[in-house]
Amino acid sequence: MPSALRADGITVKFGGVVAVNDVSLDVEQGKILGLIGPNGAGKTTLFNALTGFVTPQAGRIYLHGNEITRLPPYRRIRIGIGRTFQTERPFEELTLLENVLVAAFLKEPKRKKAERLAMDALEKVGLADRYDQPALDLNLARRRRLELAKALAVQPSVLFLDEMMAGLNPPALKDMIGFVRQLTDQNLTIVMVEHIMEAIIALSDHVIVMANGSVITEGLPGDVIEDPRVITAYLGED
Amino acid sequence: MKKHYIIFAGLVLMGIFYPQMFPGYLSVAITLLLYAGWATAWDILGGWAGQVSLGHASFVGLGAYFVAVETSHHEIAPWWAVLMALIAAAILAYLWGRLTFKLKGPYFTLSTIAIAEVFRLIAINEGWLTGGATGVFIMTLPEPFGLDLFSRQVNYYLALAFAAITVLVVMLISRSKFGYQLRAVREDEDSAMASGINPTTVKLKAFMLSGALTALGGGIYAIFLSFIEPHIIFYLLLSVQIALTAIIGGRGTIWGPCIGALLVVGSGELFRTTFAEANMLIYGLLIMVVVIFMPRGIVGEPARYLIRRVYAKRAQS
Repeated sequence: MPSALRADGITVKFGGVVAVNDVSLDVEQGKILGLIGPNGAGKTTLFNALTGFVTPQAGRIYLHGNEITRLPPYRRIRIGIGRTFQTERPFEELTLLENVLVAAFLKEPKRKKAERLAMDALEKVGLADRYDQPALDLNLARRRRLELAKALAVQPSVLFLDEMMAGLNPPALKDMIGFVRQLTDQNLTIVMVEHIMEAIIALSDHVIVMANGSVITEGLPGDVIEDPRVITAYLGED
Repeated sequence: MKKHYIIFAGLVLMGIFYPQMFPGYLSVAITLLLYAGWATAWDILGGWAGQVSLGHASFVGLGAYFVAVETSHHEIAPWWAVLMALIAAAILAYLWGRLTFKLKGPYFTLSTIAIAEVFRLIAINEGWLTGGATGVFIMTLPEPFGLDLFSRQVNYYLALAFAAITVLVVMLISRSKFGYQLRAVREDEDSAMASGINPTTVKLKAFMLSGALTALGGGIYAIFLSFIEPHIIFYLLLSVQIALTAIIGGRGTIWGPCIGALLVVGSGELFRTTFAEANMLIYGLLIMVVVIFMPRGIVGEPARYLIRRVYAKRAQS
């Protein structure tokens, strides 16, 4: 399988603090990469470096073999990256359809066609029947799904999900895992930062564990969570 | 959306017959229409794109000075002067935005006050360019199709056309790709970027459109006054009034700035005649009432309430 996303030696520093230290990764097309680690491990910073919201001091990033290290976020989005945010902020006065429309306009400037794209994205997350509801008063699970629909509406080939599962109740979690699972069936490549182990184990093809800015181990999800180094990173030494 | 166009057509029609019905109140109506247009133009940047400017008097001044100086010193027809002003305003807005859009929120607003002040000082001190502190008189104007551009009636229809154009532009934008890009940038620039939007480009476009339309109104204002003074036309107070008109009416709404103009200009006129000196007091109270009880403005607040109620009703049934 060809590599969809590759990063070599990414280092991000904030002043004197090294948030991400020489991290490399490679995701095959259609696979899900899980990024885990305790708070402050540098997952979100790495995530932001890959999507262009933070500029790394060293390293290179490739999307389908093309270097994107220096591209601003909106240009990365235009060539095939999609992302969600941990704290979703929908446009409250607009309907769900209009919320997704903002993203759908990227690939389709005509309103009618863009609306169709937006509807497709809403269908994929099970919100199509509520398309004309204002985003005001939407509950957490539906806000997350709306956030996912927005990321899908830019027609990405590599999708970045930032803690989509956090705070969801068990049925909502199960639904969300189902939506993400379906996406890889359509050959979408996914990188997800996640704290919910249940989701990581259910979805990831490969897991990278970070602590203090570095990769401490990686591998299949089942193997990684048994690794004593990972347990130490999460729980500390005896 | 269709209802907006019907309201628009109705208002324009009423506007067309207004001079026949109230020939004694043309000046008030011209002021009201100019403020409606300026506030609507301001709102493209301040409301839809969320970048509050307190420097829009610069664009009024630019439009007014282009018309006044070009017609009286260079004998260029006012419509060409207006066209030049529109282009100059768009270029100015582009450079201005390039310089200041790195600043966010209140810092952007402060920078607009500073830049506008620079233009006021230029207008006062660079006499060779602007006629200096004494201002510029417009003595003669051509008479296209035999129309006297100095007549109140013609001024009125120019102001009506200006207000109608700005509202029409905003109506077209509100449903378009650009309109949604503006809202996205206003709400959250990171989230907008995640939709592939370059926030700086979108804000620059909004500023250029907003500035050019404001200058158009400025040109008409110059013809209406036929005498312009830098102290008044470039003054911070004018910028503040334009911004307040839109904010009181409702930022980021189609009709908010027009309602704001009706209230601000209308009440100003009413209070000045009935309460004389106390009118500023009442004006201040009015602003406070709106800001405290209707932070989204007179149109914005009920619109939000309505959206909520209509949906709640449907969810129950």
